[in-house]
Amino acid sequence: MSHLADARWPLPQGVVDLLYEDAADKRGLEAALRGCFRVWSYDELIAPTFEYADTLASEAGTQLAEEMYRFTDRDGRTLALRPELTIPAARVAATRLYDQAMPLRLCYIGPVFRYEAPQAGRQREFTQAGVELIGAAGPAADAEVLALTAEALRTAGLTRFQLALGQMAFFHALLVELNLTPVALHTLQSALDRKNAADIAAALAAIPASPALHRTLLALPALSGGPVILHTARTLCLNPAMTAALDHLAALHELLHGYGVADHITFDLGETRAMQYYTGITFKGYTPGVGFAICSGGRYDDLLAHFGRPQPAVGCALWVDRIALARQRQGWQPSPLRADLLWLGELSPACLAALIELRRRGLRVELHLGDAAVDVQSARAPRLAHCVDADTVRLRTAEGTRTLSITALMHEAATW
Amino acid sequence: MVNRLAADRLVVALPKGRLLEEARTCLEQAGYGLRAGDNDRQLLLPSAAPHLSYVLAKPGDVPVYVENGACDLGIAGLDVLREHQPDLLEPLLLPFGYCRLAVAGPAARGDHPLRLEPNPRVATKFPRLTEAFFRSRGVSAEIIELSGSVELAPLVDLSDLIVDLVQSGQTLHDNGLRELRVVLHSQAVLVANRAAWRLKTAVIETFVADLRRAVEEMSNA
Repeated sequence: MSHLADARWPLPQGVVDLLYEDAADKRGLEAALRGCFRVWSYDELIAPTFEYADTLASEAGTQLAEEMYRFTDRDGRTLALRPELTIPAARVAATRLYDQAMPLRLCYIGPVFRYEAPQAGRQREFTQAGVELIGAAGPAADAEVLALTAEALRTAGLTRFQLALGQMAFFHALLVELNLTPVALHTLQSALDRKNAADIAAALAAIPASPALHRTLLALPALSGGPVILHTARTLCLNPAMTAALDHLAALHELLHGYGVADHITFDLGETRAMQYYTGITFKGYTPGVGFAICSGGRYDDLLAHFGRPQPAVGCALWVDRIALARQRQGWQPSPLRADLLWLGELSPACLAALIELRRRGLRVELHLGDAAVDVQSARAPRLAHCVDADTVRLRTAEGTRTLSITALMHEAATW
Repeated sequence: MVNRLAADRLVVALPKGRLLEEARTCLEQAGYGLRAGDNDRQLLLPSAAPHLSYVLAKPGDVPVYVENGACDLGIAGLDVLREHQPDLLEPLLLPFGYCRLAVAGPAARGDHPLRLEPNPRVATKFPRLTEAFFRSRGVSAEIIELSGSVELAPLVDLSDLIVDLVQSGQTLHDNGLRELRVVLHSQAVLVANRAAWRLKTAVIETFVADLRRAVEEMSNA
């Protein structure tokens, strides 16, 4: 067991200690996001950190299932650390809240765990903050989640961000026209996802399909941009379900315009690779400074049925650590952690009472322990209060030293 | 250095080595020619377009720069992309850097099927593609990862076979080796970071269109 205690590598790869300003900055961001979710009337779900692996893997897609940390309980059942929080939210909604008035508005903030190569702002343990709107279909529900996502990113201090909005319903309706094997579908989706026209053409060469179908599939990567692409896409529809999927996006765009977030949305009908459980809109968010997505979401109307109680649902997860990283790269400075006052001298009841009172007022007061001398320049606070006796304090600041009564000090502290 | 976060600035990673000259010609034709640096060891170079600058990187590193967002776009070989599978967009294939990743063995080896090999030792710079190639044939190959001069391996009995890039086949021939199967046809590809694609859409679309036009002009000439 000696390797466990190796002091040169005290931590496994993919986990970090956050200290001081960084820890405070992350908690501040979480608090801001929680506040944002609250005013949109989303209530918090605190889900367990681990569950049965089968529950978490059920609909998550093979990629995510492979990345789960698994272990066994005493009875030999396989458990896993949650790799995301949408499935736990769906499980809770379908198994415990199914008879509540719909829609449900749930939010969560917490760590998730994935066994994968750490990237910028994503370790193997990282934090997701998200919302799930359960029991509501239609553009208004989708618009609420998209607008809330944009608002959450603004709350986080980001001004420049773009949400790439895809529509799985359009792609699924297109697939109805084809009869693809899982392997052929994977090849096609991979080529579409990379916007590689040559690979799309190669994938199509292996698929017997009408020229109209080929034309539509080849056009998909370029169906990206503002609402104007919805008009182009109409000419490529092959069945009513495809047209309906576009009608949905057009209605959604109207609402997003009303919410004032339309400028942050890029439509992209070529976005077809997403979490396996998405059935309608899907989206990913990007901001300057981080090369990876900072949030992702979408509609998953079939997921709750997996737990026995079907309900339409839409949600979004924000990658808190990446957002914190992005805003720092964009120039955000975390607030420095510094005491308002350093308290020295005798510890008489009168002095301690004053110390407690200052803290109750919300001031950050640090008690100087030990005999080492401190001066204003090197102190961890801009002010030093030296308690001389039961009623006298020597206050040292960069401006100089003054002697005053504790009563006068308490009075002056109100202005700090 | 330009503020690379600005929505109208582009940083493009170019591969040093065999792809660079043709990439240069292509970019020149598109109106984004490289301006020579003060010396040939300079790794950050301006272009003819004021909003665009270049980074010169090792070919295998180009996808790393682009995937992480340090560069917005890059020119990479398909061989490197399929080996490392970075999460990138591939909006345009470029008509140069053609070569093939091939299985080769001693010229004396008969051309019997590779799937009948019991567990061959295969030396390569492309372990992932090599393993996938053999596993898809049900063969459990012993992969020996090298970083250069792979043709040497069979000569000193380090390996039975090699998987390496082949252009003319001359190097194989000179070392008494023969090409047996093609694993992958490779060429140069323009790659793009997914975040940059969404945040710098206008300048990237213009760049891709200019490059596509240049490619077409060059193939018509």
